[in-house]
Amino acid sequence: MSPKTNVHTLQDFYNPNVLINLGPSHPAMHGTLRVMCRVNGETIEDAACEIGYLHRGIEKLGETKNYHQWMVYTDRLNYCSALNNNIAYAMAVENLMNITPTERCQYIRVICMELSRIIDHIICVAINALDLGAMTVFWLLYHWREEAYTMIESMCGMRLTTTYARIGGMSYDLPDNFLERLWKFCEEMPKALDEVEGLLSSNRIWIDRTKGVGVITKEDALKYACTGPTLRSAGIDHDLRRDRPYYMYPELEFDVVVGSNGDVYDRYLIRLEEMRQSIRILKQCHDRIPMGPLWVNDKRVQIPEKMDVYTKMEVLIHHFKIFMEGIDVPPGEAYTCVEGPNGELGFYIVSRGGPKAWRMRVKSPSFMLFQAFEKTVKGGKIPDAVAHLGSVNIIAGELDR
Amino acid sequence: MNKAAFILEQGKVAERLMEKYSKDRRLEADRNNEPVLWAKDAKDAKVLVKSFMLDDNFKIDFLSDLTAYDNQDGEDGEKRFVVVYQLYSLEKHIRIRVKAAVDLNESAETITDIIPAANWLEREVYDLFGINFTGHPNMRRIMMDERFVGHPLRKEYPIKQRMGFDDNVQFHLGGHELHVDNTLLEDGSPADTQNRATALPEGGK
Repeated sequence: MSPKTNVHTLQDFYNPNVLINLGPSHPAMHGTLRVMCRVNGETIEDAACEIGYLHRGIEKLGETKNYHQWMVYTDRLNYCSALNNNIAYAMAVENLMNITPTERCQYIRVICMELSRIIDHIICVAINALDLGAMTVFWLLYHWREEAYTMIESMCGMRLTTTYARIGGMSYDLPDNFLERLWKFCEEMPKALDEVEGLLSSNRIWIDRTKGVGVITKEDALKYACTGPTLRSAGIDHDLRRDRPYYMYPELEFDVVVGSNGDVYDRYLIRLEEMRQSIRILKQCHDRIPMGPLWVNDKRVQIPEKMDVYTKMEVLIHHFKIFMEGIDVPPGEAYTCVEGPNGELGFYIVSRGGPKAWRMRVKSPSFMLFQAFEKTVKGGKIPDAVAHLGSVNIIAGELDR
Repeated sequence: MNKAAFILEQGKVAERLMEKYSKDRRLEADRNNEPVLWAKDAKDAKVLVKSFMLDDNFKIDFLSDLTAYDNQDGEDGEKRFVVVYQLYSLEKHIRIRVKAAVDLNESAETITDIIPAANWLEREVYDLFGINFTGHPNMRRIMMDERFVGHPLRKEYPIKQRMGFDDNVQFHLGGHELHVDNTLLEDGSPADTQNRATALPEGGK
């Protein structure tokens, strides 16, 4: 290899600046995510993520719609767990107005949040496995996702974009046979988890593709403010349900699942175990959910009964005022967050009084996760990037808002 | 942690803030009873974040959120924008919010050197509000197209204004620098002769 003949040196074939584009529309990219990589062979040496392909100005819309109208936009944040977003938002506005929901309402909300956590984790695990070639897992888990969606449909009439929560209550009470169905779900769904665990957890191919891949270390997770399963997989014991309790969580028993390696395999294990813990919470809710009023007794927010609206003049006026003028939220601000399936989902609302927010900020977990992804994807191979991306479960609707 | 202990803890935080940090600064409580501390200016906000991270009473180690809001109506002072830092402690589970007012022609100070997570968040604030962060490593738009004009979350930006672009930008690495191979061949010519890719399109930054 003589360096004098410039044509045949190794350097001539080596270009460290080959740029490769992943996404924004590719089945393995989970929505409109785009990663621009600088590759050396198949190793990603540098990556730059570009976001904004699904930017719909939801925060700007929050300043122009009234508090009720904006509820539907929360469905479109993380559309895999719309119920969770609905309730987190309702909670944020309730905190601004100093409203505490009734006990029954709180239990229903916990049920909804855990159900949506299960759905979200199912999507994450199943799609991640599908990306890596394991289709059976997808079929096994998606059957239960369908079942959960059917249950949600019976609650609020919608499957994906639920808009179930209302400020001060819920749009409907639970349907008649819901608790029996919930119990059946809780009894039978873990069997699918066992099956998936049998298929994947000690599977040679799965382990080779996931162990030590897409590692987000403890330091990185802290530095880039990761939350949720990604933070816990790095070995940090933090769960807002336990550490900043809201609703009925202090009274319910559940364990916070913590990993140690921060790789794709740990995140997969954590999601599986979190689904079991959610089932555990659902079972306790099933046993404890009290009868009683669904709505808070607060004239500012309470939506009147439909029957009364049709028959009583005052109630009709009240109904009209709530929906045409909107509810009056006193001036002030609050940051309210819940432990969403992907991490801390927060709403920072600045109110200057009146029916519209002055500033509606959505703190989305995916935003921070994608930033961490950009930093931690370096040094891996391109197929590993796909495994990594699937395991942190970034949802474009929440990322771009 | 149960709710009572948690409220107690939050009360201690407010006390401590009052004692040590409230000189020349305004301390408020929000509707969740979480402390809000107004920094004297944008520079002071960074000083506060730094000192909270070193203060053993708070043990702040986590940036929950960094955002801003438009103060066009002047409710929160004369300056046009307010930059908001949501700080959190993973150990003590407390929240502190630091606010700094920034005027139209002022720029805020980046905290990416203390907390790298602020990188994208500051870019977002820059994109949507037009607040510059001095010292930021990659101050580019993040949500909007790089050719976009205006800052959508400012109150004067109309809700229905659209901006279309008829073609794509040249492919680039988002402001990241390309690898430069400085090795020379024996005859002194650079080994890296191929220059197929560019870090940024012409006039991109």
